[in-house]
Amino acid sequence: MAQLSFVLNGCPVCASIEPGDLLADVLRDQLGMIGVKVGCGEGECGACTVLIDGKAVLSCIYPAPKVAGCAVTTIEGLGTSDQLDVIQQAFVECCASQCGYCTPGIVLAAKALLDANPQPTREQIMVGISGNLCRCTGYYQIVDAIALAAERLTGGEP
Amino acid sequence: MTSAVGRPVQRSDIAAKVTGQSCFPQDYSSKDQLYAKVVWAAHPRARVLHIDASRASGVPGVMRVLTAADVPVNEYGIMTFDQPVLVPVGGETHWTGDRVALVVAETEAAASRARDLIDVEYEVLQPIIDPAAAKGAPDLVHADRDSNVIQHLFVHRGETEAALAQADLVVEATYHTQCVEHAYLQPEACLGYIDDEGRVALVVATQWPHDDIRQLAHILDVGERQLRIIVPAVGGAFGGREDMSLQPLVALAVHLLRRPVKMVWTREESIRGHGKRHPFSIRLKTGCTSDGRLLAIEAECVSDAGAYESTSVVVLSDALSFIGGPYHYPSCKVDGYTVYTNNAPGMAMRGFGAAQAAVAYELQMDRMARALRIDPVEFRLRNILTDHAVRLTGNRMPEGTGARECLVAAAQAAGWSECEGHWLAPEITQPALAERRRGLGVACTYKNVGYSFGFDDKSTARVCLHLEPSGQIARATVYLAAVEVGQGVTTALAQIAADALSLPVERVKVAEVDTATSPDAGSCSASRHTYMSGNAVYLACQKALRERVQALRGETGEQTIEASYTYRGKSRRPTTDWDPVTGECSPHFSYGYGAQVALIDVDTETGEIELLKVWSANNAGKVINPATVYGQSAGGLAMGLGYALMEEVVHEAGQLRTRRLSEYYVPTALDMPREFVDIQIEVPDPSGPFGATGIGEIPLLSTAPAVLNALADATGTYLDTLPATPERVWHALSPGRHAL
Repeated sequence: MAQLSFVLNGCPVCASIEPGDLLADVLRDQLGMIGVKVGCGEGECGACTVLIDGKAVLSCIYPAPKVAGCAVTTIEGLGTSDQLDVIQQAFVECCASQCGYCTPGIVLAAKALLDANPQPTREQIMVGISGNLCRCTGYYQIVDAIALAAERLTGGEP
Repeated sequence: MTSAVGRPVQRSDIAAKVTGQSCFPQDYSSKDQLYAKVVWAAHPRARVLHIDASRASGVPGVMRVLTAADVPVNEYGIMTFDQPVLVPVGGETHWTGDRVALVVAETEAAASRARDLIDVEYEVLQPIIDPAAAKGAPDLVHADRDSNVIQHLFVHRGETEAALAQADLVVEATYHTQCVEHAYLQPEACLGYIDDEGRVALVVATQWPHDDIRQLAHILDVGERQLRIIVPAVGGAFGGREDMSLQPLVALAVHLLRRPVKMVWTREESIRGHGKRHPFSIRLKTGCTSDGRLLAIEAECVSDAGAYESTSVVVLSDALSFIGGPYHYPSCKVDGYTVYTNNAPGMAMRGFGAAQAAVAYELQMDRMARALRIDPVEFRLRNILTDHAVRLTGNRMPEGTGARECLVAAAQAAGWSECEGHWLAPEITQPALAERRRGLGVACTYKNVGYSFGFDDKSTARVCLHLEPSGQIARATVYLAAVEVGQGVTTALAQIAADALSLPVERVKVAEVDTATSPDAGSCSASRHTYMSGNAVYLACQKALRERVQALRGETGEQTIEASYTYRGKSRRPTTDWDPVTGECSPHFSYGYGAQVALIDVDTETGEIELLKVWSANNAGKVINPATVYGQSAGGLAMGLGYALMEEVVHEAGQLRTRRLSEYYVPTALDMPREFVDIQIEVPDPSGPFGATGIGEIPLLSTAPAVLNALADATGTYLDTLPATPERVWHALSPGRHAL
């Protein structure tokens, strides 16, 4: 058992971990971040996507010890229902979620994409979320939402 | 006040979903909870000789190892009780998703460790894997049945043989559709506990909570009032949660141990432990006149029911009922068999038999049109079913038949033009690369909405009006167990209630599904909730309004008014089961219709198909919410594309070779056509709420046949076996050519 310290959604946290522990399990089971979804356990579906120092990472296959000292962002670190962030607001307006199990991961993948490339083309958006499976929506409303968020973030639309 | 129906009202659950606050079953925990793990059958067909749990019981933290001897009544199933909760010693396994023992422990780690220490001794038997061979074989999957054929269904109408003999054109082909995994993103999970009233309560993702209770009461040998199911956010279903998966195991453990028990399946367990879409083989022989009038259809369908019956008979029924497509055939000779094997059980999946049938009948239509040199749209329109036309089963179509409208809309959007009754396909420009061929394919399909074949389909809604002192309605709460699986039913029902009550939709709440308070709305399947539960909600609202008027007249001072209504499908359109002699019947009370045009490129060197553009027209009757209907259309396209091109669960000697998502290709954003035109058609069904019928399954049906017909348009080759993987296409395009 070792102590792991990192910054979670802006707050310093500590967890007790075993060497083989995976980040998704530590975030869900020890730190209560239930917005981190586990869909496949092998990094195939993207539901477990979180940001580590701003980069999208598959937490279901990511060794927990590697986040020591890093800044980890889960969906809980974005907006709240009363105060959605721009991407979440766009998802709401574009009806970009159905069952919602993939949604936290896709919102975070979108955030990583837009932070790195604020004005992506639709093709770049599709590439940006191609590691995230959605079985419900057929993706178009998700791509619309990310495009809308990009427009707003770059001042294209109020 | 503006009407809520017809507007893209914001989904009531979406803020919670985008913030990660939605709780799915795996997100629930209880203090003091135990963890359960399954011991899966190692072989698809083997006799269990001995189960030794002594090593497992010694693992610290293990509370109990449960076996068949612990199950009060060891049988269940949605249609027939042919599935054991746990395979008994002396009994046989029927697929590798069978469960042999259940370990319950204080920690998940202890449960896992102990599970691996349970020794099961088997006598391995030769699995039965081919439904065609199993059909007449004496070796039986279930020894207590007299045949592996669960059911032979048929409809024989008119002089089919004579009609085929006189036809100007006869086309015969055999189609094979594959085994498909639902691949909902949320794997199975359940938290069970004893609630305040002493009931065994399960928090679980299911499509029909009240039917789970019916089966669980049988298993535990308790009254249905002793059980409760709470349905939180459900991470997709697509038919795969219609049959129970882990519910019997968790309920059993809670019932016996009287402690909270949690079980979460891994993706591998999910794929192993729940049923699949039935593979079908479908032989069709159809005949028509030289001017393109259909005369007769002969069909023989065999479906692989796998280890347990589940809904196989109804899936076969739907496949047979729709095997002629939305076209008029004066005569038919249709037979179908659903057959037990030791493969994964065939269960409900979006499209439910109609999806398999659509592949066969739409390729068949295309072949006939091509042979006659008639435009494929025109050929279909010459034979298409309209209001009051006689369909395959001998009954007449109801008002609201929208197949023609869908086909015309999709074809016109894709560039077809009509001139004096003749249809002309658009010119398409071939790609510059010589090995790439471009093609345009069309398909038109339909399916029942609601439960068919005489089943007493019903949905009950209870509406509670909260009144202001003035008697005005302040707000309303709707209670019914219509499960939100992502499709948007909760929002649609709130919209229907809002308009029925003339309330702003924000003041209508649909309560979360809990069998303790929500009446039985029937299953979230067969595209039925908008129609069935929409009717129930609408009529319950009208009843509540009448009771409110009476309360106001009587000056009773009541602050709340409650009314319930049970809507029965047969109340407006009774249905009947297959006639035992002719097979003729009036099977369905409402239908959904759709048509798609697909534009594809095929690389003849690699066999790869790229879907460039799809036009999809679907008849909703009345679009309750255009944003969620669009979502069904686009999502159906994605699932149809997977069915057409890439998805297949592979069995090898009864063992799953497709075990995880890395071995099963679900379409990603990059697989979607870059251009998608969604066309929402509104030919009202007068028996639906505001004219609405179902839409959930319809957009999936036309994709695979449209893509395969586009392949034929591009290359002249029909591929009769799904999925159209590059290897399969490559071989079909170059018979005799060998890979380097």
